[in-house]
Amino acid sequence: MRLSLIVNGMEHELDVRPTARLIDVLRLDLGLTGVKEGCSEGECGACTVIVDDKAVNSCLVLAGQMRGKKVLTVEGLADDDGLDTLQRMFIEHGAVQCGFCTPGMLMSAKALLLADPHPSEEAIRLALAGNLCRCTGYATIVAAVRAASEQPAEAAPPPPATGRDGKAV
Amino acid sequence: MPRAELLTPSGLGELTAALQRTTSSSRLLAGGTDLVRSMRHDHWEPDLLIDLSGLRELVYVRLEGDRLRVGALTTFAELQTDPLVRRHARCLAEAAARVGSAQIRNVATVGGNIANASPCADGVTALVALGADVRTIDGGGRSTVRPLEQVLVGSGRTSLAPDEAITEVSFAALGSDRRTTFVKIGSRATVTVARLSMALIVKYDGVSGTVSEVRVALGAVGETAFRDARLEELLEGRAAHEESAHLFADGCTDAVRRAIPGRSSLPYKQRAAVGLAYDAWNALGLCDRCQPAWG
Repeated sequence: MRLSLIVNGMEHELDVRPTARLIDVLRLDLGLTGVKEGCSEGECGACTVIVDDKAVNSCLVLAGQMRGKKVLTVEGLADDDGLDTLQRMFIEHGAVQCGFCTPGMLMSAKALLLADPHPSEEAIRLALAGNLCRCTGYATIVAAVRAASEQPAEAAPPPPATGRDGKAV
Repeated sequence: MPRAELLTPSGLGELTAALQRTTSSSRLLAGGTDLVRSMRHDHWEPDLLIDLSGLRELVYVRLEGDRLRVGALTTFAELQTDPLVRRHARCLAEAAARVGSAQIRNVATVGGNIANASPCADGVTALVALGADVRTIDGGGRSTVRPLEQVLVGSGRTSLAPDEAITEVSFAALGSDRRTTFVKIGSRATVTVARLSMALIVKYDGVSGTVSEVRVALGAVGETAFRDARLEELLEGRAAHEESAHLFADGCTDAVRRAIPGRSSLPYKQRAAVGLAYDAWNALGLCDRCQPAWG
């Protein structure tokens, strides 16, 4: 089936299997391998992406359900000015060890900060409850998210996304 | 394997046309969090998938008279924070907050929770306690209403016809004289499948200090969430003090034994029911904190 998707600000016209999951299209059709597949059942959160400003498990939804929606993956977090504040804080706080959970963690944290720029520690922990990390013990990740929330720039809206033709979408 | 077709209706008219094409091998797709996982893990595909996500008209919470009406495609994230749900059906807001993870709550819907008919569906346990009715539409465009208990037939089984889609869940809004909560226990504190869940609603008379019109639904015990009349009668007219909490805990244990006699999980669930009973009772905030004798 034909599918129109906006991913990381770019509009894509794709021909996909009707039962293709969002993660399949992101990884296999668009080559966005920052999206990780862990458990395939919504436990680990490694596949988390942001759809219309909300964190979603890309392994639990079909690509076909995303028509007309805006999808953001970890590849879309950084912009021309460099890494997103969250990414810088993850590095600074040692919140990345093996790195497999990191894209999902970043996207869950990003969705939280979009909705609540200055969350409580409990809100951070709840927002990350659907993301498993087997290395860090979580403390450094929570600290990184809190540090990002304390950076003044984080509250600002993300820069406008542009399509292939350079026009805003 | 034949390839599934995905239909994407954008209104109720298109939905009924799509429903006319369904067979017993077809499936309706709401949030997708259960169905997409199931297709992947169990290696199957329906002949026809109808994606309901375009039906934005089925996303709402409305208070009409004394009834709260919830559109079938309302997500748990929406239910969790909705002011009307928090005020008039707090047990449902609390259940919504305990469903899966933030990622799952952002897409999983109340209609999907019912149609999937998992015995441990948190939303369903709360809706059974609320005495919810389910409105559906079929391929002929006919809209009908029946009690939720008549929709839930067994574990993973409903009375929904292949060409029948849930459009709305409704129930009597709880007034300010009601106290209500939802509690559950699973293998971990969050993002967990309930091994036992409970929704409790009581009418509280602050003058006499008694509870009445008690409604208790238990989930993840047996095939579907259910209410137990004997358990509810136990508390009727009782004073809101510690003795009633002990009585309630004993009653919950008995209700679990009646529900799953001889089941290997019975010893665990009977004991879990005691802990949950105190959790629920304490959450109502009617008296000083009560504790089981062993804890």
